[in-house]
Amino acid sequence: MITVKDLHKTFINPDGAKNQVLRGINYEINKGEKIVVIGPSGSGKSTFLRCLNLLERPTSGQIIFDGIDITNPKADINMVRQDMGMVFQHFNLFNNLTIMDNITLAPVKLKIMSKEEANEKALSLLERVNLKDKADAYPVSLSGGQKQRIAIVRSLAMNPKLMLFDEPTSALDPEMVGEVLEVMKELADNGMTMVVVTHEMGFAREVGTKVLFMDEGNIMEENTPYEFFNSPKSPRLKDFLSKVL
Amino acid sequence: MQEWFLRIADQFNQSFIYKDRWKLYLDGLGITLEVSLFSALIGLVLGIFVALMRLSQKEDGRSTILSKIAGAYIDVIRGTPAVVQLLIMWFIIMNNSKNGILVASISFGINSGAYIAEIVRAGILAVDKGQTEAGRSLGLSNAQTMIYIIIPQAIKNVLPPICNEFVTLIKETAIIGYVSLDDLTRVANQITSASYNAFMPLIIAAVIYFVIIKILTLLIGKLERRLRKSDNR
Repeated sequence: MITVKDLHKTFINPDGAKNQVLRGINYEINKGEKIVVIGPSGSGKSTFLRCLNLLERPTSGQIIFDGIDITNPKADINMVRQDMGMVFQHFNLFNNLTIMDNITLAPVKLKIMSKEEANEKALSLLERVNLKDKADAYPVSLSGGQKQRIAIVRSLAMNPKLMLFDEPTSALDPEMVGEVLEVMKELADNGMTMVVVTHEMGFAREVGTKVLFMDEGNIMEENTPYEFFNSPKSPRLKDFLSKVL
Repeated sequence: MQEWFLRIADQFNQSFIYKDRWKLYLDGLGITLEVSLFSALIGLVLGIFVALMRLSQKEDGRSTILSKIAGAYIDVIRGTPAVVQLLIMWFIIMNNSKNGILVASISFGINSGAYIAEIVRAGILAVDKGQTEAGRSLGLSNAQTMIYIIIPQAIKNVLPPICNEFVTLIKETAIIGYVSLDDLTRVANQITSASYNAFMPLIIAAVIYFVIIKILTLLIGKLERRLRKSDNR
């Protein structure tokens, strides 16, 4: 579904110093897979995820999504993004719109659905996450867990083929983590292809089909969750797991 | 004490009622408001446009030529006095035009546009970057994200400083007497000469300015509260 070839990303700081964050990543994600990316902070895992829908432009390398090289400047990135949902650490619900409008804005303005269809879809999705009563509320009145569930729903309203999660539970109060992970698990069970950057090891073990360990801009290790957690190979991963588990 | 009151009453009569002089203030106020309104409209449109130019970026984050032009415009306008700009417009750029209101409105509009551009730019930058990213990640174009998500939130940010700019603008038009327009300030000056008394005409002009600006401030305050609706928990 998505193939990453020799992906490099270098940030240039305002003072001209170069910061090489991704150093040649190769990876292939197939339909239905749930890839969980873990690693220490600064390892490039968020940048990797953000390159997949070009929120960060790679410095070099290719990303091929459904046969289209999206890193080609001629590729219609807005069309590509319609098929890739993204959930952010800080939710990023549109503060000026009600929950209903948050969900229906993109499908309606991009002429994928009529206003009525979008409303109907939004209500049924809200029902699935038990937040139907919040349809007319503004984001500011919601808890973090509610906001994140709405953010997931907002992406789903576009019927994406792939969902990207950038540390979706890192900004939540501990007691709200569960409700968000629950929604993500349900999504996984329904066959959604997912790439999840997270620190939730339980989620990685339970939901992931593959777990990646990133460090210093490379994928250091990749394995099934069982192998990954029970017999880590590289010393760096062993060290990391000993600290987080 | 009584004598003092009588003197004040007489001065008021001389500078406001005698020869229907109040009509002159009214006409002057009309000109002041006309120029202020037109300049505000020109300034607002120009300001938003210039702010968007200034914020335009290439894909790799470098600034565009449009952005540099906008920056130069803001620099030049902010670096020169409004009176000088007005006189340049009147005597040099539009020296064929006899329409003082047009010249003054364009001159002040261009002046105000530079300040409003900086206000709008700051207002847009103050909206969290995550809002743009969320919009773009859903497949909305840059323009759609701006129109439906960023600008509505930026408007709330910029309303107080824009109000401030309009207030400043109304008061700054007091110099349009330079291009032979009989605005409120110039009328007060003329009545001063005619009645050999500076105190009363100037106080009357000051009170009229104050009342107009107070009303404007109240109206904008009301609008601001209405726009804050989505902030209420």
